[in-house]
Amino acid sequence: MTDWNALSDEEFRKEVRAFFEAEYPEELRHLPYRPKFAEIERWHVKLHAKGWVAPAWPTEYGGMGLAAAKLLIFYEEQQRFGVNRGRDMGIQMVGPLIIKFGTQAQKDYWLPRILSCEDIWCQGYSEPGAGSDLANLRTSAVIDGDDFVINGQKIWTTMAHDATHIFMLVRTDPDAPIKQKGISFVLASMDQPGVDVRTITTLAGETEFCEVFFDNARTPRANLVGEINKGWSMAKALLSFERIFIGSPSLAQNALGQLETLARGRGAFDDPVFRDRYTQVALDVEDHAALYSRFADQLKRGETLGADVSMLKIWVTETYQRISELMIEVAGPDGGSIGPLQVGNVGVDVLASFYKARPTTIYGGSNEIQRNILSKAVLGL
Amino acid sequence: MTLVQDEDLRILRDSVGALLDRAGGVRRARRLRDSDEHWDAGIWQELVAAGVLGVAAPEDAGGLGMGLTAAGVVAEEVGRVIAPEPVVPTIGMAIGLMQRLCPQDPMLEAAIAGDVMVAVAWQERCAKGLSDVIECRFDGSTLTGNKDWVVGASGADHVLVIAEGADGPVLVRVSSDASGISKQARSQSDASALWSMSFSGTPAQLLADGAQVSDALANAVADTTVLTAAELVGLSGAALVLTLDYIKTREQFDKPIGSFQVIQHRAVDMYVMQEVAQAAVREALAAMDHADTTLERVRQASRAKARACTAAQKITREAIQLHGAVGYTDEFDVSLLLNRALVLSAWLGDAAFHRRNWLEANETEVAAQ
Repeated sequence: MTDWNALSDEEFRKEVRAFFEAEYPEELRHLPYRPKFAEIERWHVKLHAKGWVAPAWPTEYGGMGLAAAKLLIFYEEQQRFGVNRGRDMGIQMVGPLIIKFGTQAQKDYWLPRILSCEDIWCQGYSEPGAGSDLANLRTSAVIDGDDFVINGQKIWTTMAHDATHIFMLVRTDPDAPIKQKGISFVLASMDQPGVDVRTITTLAGETEFCEVFFDNARTPRANLVGEINKGWSMAKALLSFERIFIGSPSLAQNALGQLETLARGRGAFDDPVFRDRYTQVALDVEDHAALYSRFADQLKRGETLGADVSMLKIWVTETYQRISELMIEVAGPDGGSIGPLQVGNVGVDVLASFYKARPTTIYGGSNEIQRNILSKAVLGL
Repeated sequence: MTLVQDEDLRILRDSVGALLDRAGGVRRARRLRDSDEHWDAGIWQELVAAGVLGVAAPEDAGGLGMGLTAAGVVAEEVGRVIAPEPVVPTIGMAIGLMQRLCPQDPMLEAAIAGDVMVAVAWQERCAKGLSDVIECRFDGSTLTGNKDWVVGASGADHVLVIAEGADGPVLVRVSSDASGISKQARSQSDASALWSMSFSGTPAQLLADGAQVSDALANAVADTTVLTAAELVGLSGAALVLTLDYIKTREQFDKPIGSFQVIQHRAVDMYVMQEVAQAAVREALAAMDHADTTLERVRQASRAKARACTAAQKITREAIQLHGAVGYTDEFDVSLLLNRALVLSAWLGDAAFHRRNWLEANETEVAAQ
């Protein structure tokens, strides 16, 4: 087996880039929506055969065993080439949790099924009354013989209508003095009578998000991961790498490229007002990238990232929104048109960018929550 | 250029920072502002002894050869305590021009050693403001014309002047006590002065001519621009620290005002702005140390100044607001920082100017490809 970490960064980047360019289906590049599994299955098969489904997992569990610096390169190349992340909740969230906190039996059973996508996972965290205040969740799991009986409702569950399993935070001790302490992490099958999924249509007209209702649904007690009532701290432990990933410059960089294409095509660069506004966002992107490399260098030196990494997400998502808003303006009377606008021989979909930029300041911990974190953990306020 | 290690930069930062703090930090800037001296000759000599002026200059000219990155470290520290001595104009403009155009002239080593003070007069004013035409003439032995926005004209032993010669721009030297010089100070918001200078048949010595003069000037201006950006980063960092200290201690409604979320989020925005500015300016400094073309150096300098001006203005203005009424007083140091930020932002081009410059440099680069 190749020890990817032994390669230099440049060699590794070349290797990853070459594989994506040779094998990734052209028509799936830069998909503006989240595909169902069937749509990207042929890519998953190639990735699985190559052994590259789980870049971050240790090799003993079938991952690539990449150190942080290499992992960052892998994701940079993935985004640069517009490679879809696929249905990676199992890879990104469940797998690492089972590897860290699961029993041997759980590892043996679940991990191969995640890699092969025999099981496709969705994440059951948010609830109608538990968004930013996630610890306020109320969906309950009560022990009944060898099972948990689950009642309640999850919401904003991404692609739940195309998932076979759900990993969820549930309340197992309603009397815990601190609400974070009565929460457990359990796995459950979606394919049972007590689980009902309804899609939510977004303002972009898409149906990526779902509500999931649990009415006496059951899951074996063996599907509890880690200790009972310890789910909160386990879920939080997973977020460290996620926080730099969510603040990476790629979304804003891609949008800036589209803005430039559109603006050149429409002659907007002749307008001094536009020129200045374009330069503001262009420099917002370029200077964010400088900050991002500072954190990436920290990872390369093997350091753990602190709470200050939250600022990347704040800056890049707000920049992304400004770029997408500027694109709408440049489109002029076409600013409300669905589908790509033809600019020379390329299409620029201004509405898709605009819609895609809106939830970025809400998901992954809203930017207001990120500001709370920075205020407390970094500024000491 | 020698490869500079992070550790060397850290040592440089610590030693320059300690020297300036020992001298009194921002309090010293206030004391000098309220005196007639404006600079402190003793501290200037201490900075010289620490090698500060030659940090980016080549070793064979008596410098340390550590590159702009190291000069940026010095500039950040100078900005942090708003030291009024002309560190950045001397490193960037005076030494920057001499090391490129007349490296053999003994004045270069003398300037690095602090034996002479050298000011640079290169900009001119027209009816609308900044002129893009040089009208100051050098006839082979004397200089005639007007220059504007000169830093440090009062304490200088020599003035380097960019003038129009027989075949394009030239660099000449005049002694500050030469005949036919008159100068007038325009007071700035931080109590410093920018000088207007008139030369009328003033004896001048030719130091350099030919196409190299324009290129050296562009590079020296780019150096000084990015170093001013670094100075602003130091300044806005100081404004942030002052503000955080204040909102943690100032109580209203029986609580520190920093416990209110609206204040917290505004403080976070100042902090994020500061971190982005610092990362961008440091990256620009490093890029300029490795850049192959003048155009790329100019582009990076503009990027840095655009960001640093935006951040320093935003942060010092927010600092006033979060201090409340006392922020509007002269007594609180945040006012000194705001007033200094105004001057440093305006000098060598503000954010809007440099955004324009950056985009034009980008377009020139694309057109050349």
